[in-house]
Amino acid sequence: MQVREIEITHRLGLHARACARIVQLASRFRCNVALVCGRRRASARSIVAVMLLAGAFGSFVRVETDGPDEGAAMAAMERLLRDGLGMPA
Amino acid sequence: MVSFALHGVGVSGGIAIGRAQLVSHATLEVAHYTVTTRQVAGEIERFTLAVDEVKRELEGIHAAMSGGDVPGEFGAFLDVHWMILNDPTLSEAPKKIIAEQHCNAEWALMQQMGVLVEQFEQIEDSYLRERKADVVQVGERVLKRLMGRPGVLPAAKAEEQTILVAHDLSPADVIQFKSHHYGAFLTDLGGVTSHTAIVARSLNVPAVVATHNARQLIRDGELLIVDGNNNVVIVNPDRAVLAEYRLRQNEFDLTRQKLKRLRTKPAETIDGVRIELYANIELPDDLEQALENGAGGVGLFRSEFLFLNRDGLPSEDEQFEAYRTVAEGMAGRPVTIRTFDLGADKQKAGLDGLSRVAPNPALGLRAVRFCLAEPRLFVTQLRAILRASHYGNVQILVPMLASSGEIDQTLVMIERAKESLRDQNAPFNADILVGGMIEIPAAVLAMDAFLKKLDFLSIGTNDLIQYTLAVDRADEAVSHLYDPMHPAVLRLIALAITTATRAGVPIAVCGEMAGEAQLTRLLLGMGLRHFSMHPAHLLTVKQRILQSDCASAKSFVDRIRRADDPRKLLGLVDRLNV
Repeated sequence: MQVREIEITHRLGLHARACARIVQLASRFRCNVALVCGRRRASARSIVAVMLLAGAFGSFVRVETDGPDEGAAMAAMERLLRDGLGMPA
Repeated sequence: MVSFALHGVGVSGGIAIGRAQLVSHATLEVAHYTVTTRQVAGEIERFTLAVDEVKRELEGIHAAMSGGDVPGEFGAFLDVHWMILNDPTLSEAPKKIIAEQHCNAEWALMQQMGVLVEQFEQIEDSYLRERKADVVQVGERVLKRLMGRPGVLPAAKAEEQTILVAHDLSPADVIQFKSHHYGAFLTDLGGVTSHTAIVARSLNVPAVVATHNARQLIRDGELLIVDGNNNVVIVNPDRAVLAEYRLRQNEFDLTRQKLKRLRTKPAETIDGVRIELYANIELPDDLEQALENGAGGVGLFRSEFLFLNRDGLPSEDEQFEAYRTVAEGMAGRPVTIRTFDLGADKQKAGLDGLSRVAPNPALGLRAVRFCLAEPRLFVTQLRAILRASHYGNVQILVPMLASSGEIDQTLVMIERAKESLRDQNAPFNADILVGGMIEIPAAVLAMDAFLKKLDFLSIGTNDLIQYTLAVDRADEAVSHLYDPMHPAVLRLIALAITTATRAGVPIAVCGEMAGEAQLTRLLLGMGLRHFSMHPAHLLTVKQRILQSDCASAKSFVDRIRRADDPRKLLGLVDRLNV
């Protein structure tokens, strides 16, 4: 399992379209991808759960990947969270 | 009946008087009943079917939009809604509730929505908290299906004006407005940039939003006056008020009528410069509106709209019929057909279009790039256009050209289409004019190839702004940066017009900027003589042209072009319009 803490740098936090992109990305990998924000924990395959994380601007989200392609999934999630969220879908 | 007034934000001007039609909130009327153990499976099945139907509903709306007559953000919102619908918290959890509590599907879904909304309510960040609206909208769509009321808006009654009253309108509702003729829109929520506002303005229909509780206070069928100019709604007006407003409405209509009288009047400035005013159309049916508003020609026929509501590609014959109808309808006046402006994501509407998201569609395989990558599709369209050219004054307009190589390839394709028609002895205009859209800054800055190889040019301001400022206006996070008045945008447009005019190549503007009367003098001053816009704006712009003087506009615009301070620039534009 891989674990990494990433800061949310998008002004609007994990907004709806950002959540959609996270779920789309996570669905491409075979491993389990979970996000943890404060006390809330979400499977990155559920858009409602990710929305409910309420990851606000400046807060940290812990990404956990666990499974066969966990390294690639972590790298992709990190890239998306670090600079992808403000980009057009 | 008590008469009272509601205040809101008028986001689209005009006065409408008509009967209220409430768009019901499904959640208010959900029944609760228990089902027997034997019925549980059936109840779960009923729920699954409703979810599947809503999936198809959303896919249908998405497919109908692929042409692009709605801002791209709706597509993104629909994607989010589709994903929410597929989320186990909404599509699976209620099944468990049905099984555990032996309750009806509606009630199970309501309970689950309640649980989710409660969780959203606990979010501190107000922006993220409001995302619960998406979950509620999707849940309600399923509820309406379960209750035998599909989430399609009721059609307006023909005999009198109908005013739509809703708590809020979802992007999916908005798509259906085009086919219903509402007199006005009224919503509890919303703001100047809400979906309701955008659509109301494009339909020229008054709208008042942010009334807070209109939907609770107004009953179905009540008489309403919606005054979009003064941000007010009057419910059950007394006779005196009604008479007063009928008068005001008449005055407003009279102004519109006066505009109509300009229909046949040539568009000529005070100093005698003749201006061409053309219409942008999407389907052959739009021709009527174009002619009613005195269009001198069709400056932009968005041919990708032939894809609306269908899965496959329109055949050559089908396309030919559509193009010929418009060519004949315009009776010798120019009809500029823009070749398909499709992106890879719009190639196949429906499921594929929803699940496949190009990493960056605006910079990807779209418009002419896509056509050149799909030569069979492109040649089919070119053949259809060429065949139609025998029946009227047809021109070809190619979108998204950036380089000389693309122009060459396109011209080769056109030659190829011509040859195949010659082989079959099919008649067409061999000297058909071929033009290019100026939508990419590169096209403006290196226009030589365009001027040498093409017969005419047309500036698509919407994309030019997007590519100049690197702003996807469909992206809510940056849409505030989308600015037609950015000095760089204005300089590019002015440069394009000057360069083309100097070379003797006709150039038009066919983006949204062409239809804004506030910008007419600015464009005239830049030397623009050819405008193409939504037919609804033709007469307003013509009126502005009749009151304008090209020479004085030009000297003013020279000052505007030098202005680098945006505030000073806007001040100058305001003065230009005085």
